[in-house]
Amino acid sequence: MNFSGSILLVDDEAHIRKFISLLLRHLGVERIFEAANGSIALEVYKKENPDLVMLDVNMPVMDGIETLRALKVINPDCVVVMLTSLANRQTIDDAVALGAANYIRKDAPPEEIGRALADTIDNCFEPDDSGPAAPDA
Amino acid sequence: MEDPLINPSIDLKGRRILAVDDDRINLRIIGGILRNEGYEIAEAASGEQALEVYAAFQPNLVLLDVMMPGIDGFATCRTLKKAYGDKCAPVIFVTAKSEADDVVMGFDAGGVDYLTKPFRPKEVVARIRTHLSNQQLVEQQKDLVQQLSKANAAKDRFLGMCAHDLRNPLSSIRGLAELMDENAIGELTSEQREIIQTIHGASQSMLLLVNELLDVATIEAGHLKLEKAPTSIVEIVERSVHLSNIEAAKKNTRIEMVKIDTDPMVDVDRNKMRQVVDNLINNAVKYSPRGSIITVLIHSNGVVAGFAVRDSGPGIPESERHKLFKDYGRLSTEPTGGEKSTGLGLAICRKIVEAHNGTIGVDNIPGRGAEFIVSLPLYK
Repeated sequence: MNFSGSILLVDDEAHIRKFISLLLRHLGVERIFEAANGSIALEVYKKENPDLVMLDVNMPVMDGIETLRALKVINPDCVVVMLTSLANRQTIDDAVALGAANYIRKDAPPEEIGRALADTIDNCFEPDDSGPAAPDA
Repeated sequence: MEDPLINPSIDLKGRRILAVDDDRINLRIIGGILRNEGYEIAEAASGEQALEVYAAFQPNLVLLDVMMPGIDGFATCRTLKKAYGDKCAPVIFVTAKSEADDVVMGFDAGGVDYLTKPFRPKEVVARIRTHLSNQQLVEQQKDLVQQLSKANAAKDRFLGMCAHDLRNPLSSIRGLAELMDENAIGELTSEQREIIQTIHGASQSMLLLVNELLDVATIEAGHLKLEKAPTSIVEIVERSVHLSNIEAAKKNTRIEMVKIDTDPMVDVDRNKMRQVVDNLINNAVKYSPRGSIITVLIHSNGVVAGFAVRDSGPGIPESERHKLFKDYGRLSTEPTGGEKSTGLGLAICRKIVEAHNGTIGVDNIPGRGAEFIVSLPLYK
């Protein structure tokens, strides 16, 4: 995967963060930030300004949809990939309507997650990695 | 849940009986006999009054005189049956004449039995007891069915919740093991690799089970939502054949597709139908000897179209055929490469196919193998 940017990974389940972050490192992503819920994610986002956010849907404190809305207020161009478990059509539609770039089933095997992430990166970033382009709706 | 066994000694005391007769003396006699037995009695002197008293008293049984001024017993019975339907209390007719015509008319009107005047108290008591007991058994059975279907729905909900909550941790375990096997955290020793591969295999088969349980729970709870679109059968089958061939190659098995002149279209939920094709092909690979050839044949007769998966396994034992498409219907036949089976796959296939108004069946090919045939209404 050709991506030299940074990724913020948001999920309340530690094992998911462990799994996805190991996968990201394996794919060559070097700068990974983690957050266990939406409100922490917003803090980290403001501080670190990551290039891409991977965002869980079901979380306590502040859920994924709410967090997505807040992220889009901070930066309307931020690239957000939703992490879902069971594909819930309604949630996915809501997220896409709010400007999410893609969604990934986190219960999929690593290569499938990697492929979906690579697709999103291809769609949303210029090949020279000079920062995010407009998300492909 | 309470023990669903029915108490065999039925206590009928306090059961409500409505006695209807225009003859006061008759009412007094029958009332006396029945009160003596511990029943609660309400009386009515005409059909019209009977309808009123019925509504207020809600009896468990009605004793209804046939010959009455105003609306007679048969008409009263028909009115009651119409008003209360299945919930109407059983009606026993009381008639002075025991002529056959009368009796037949009584049954036609919805009565369950008849008594002839003058009364023989023992007969009255025995017949009433029989009908009250029957009625009570029916009620108990209805309760029981209701309780059981509630318990079954609760079980499905529980399974669904369980499966749902197990899925994410299991996916993480599987994913982490897979990444370690790919040296994501460095080169492994051969022992470490063996252990990691064991963890991967075990979590993979648990995930499979959990996913199938979740499918069953979703379908049983009536939450199977089909996103139908006109789809080419060849396209669905081709993709599955391609993907399955990768896995089948490990057993030196090959899957071939046999097309026909046309490319039949069906109105289906692509993902669900792929699941059916995948499942049938995987089964064929699982139960066929190493190095065999599995054939997937497209079929269409202008009304229905579909596909058939032909394997070279041992076939389906006749004695176990009935279990095949049922939940947890595992057969005695074993996979040939140590693969796992939950016994849910074919049940899920059947449910998906039936939700599309299609059919799924199996035939043994004499000499070798089984052929699973799926047929769906052709899209026009």
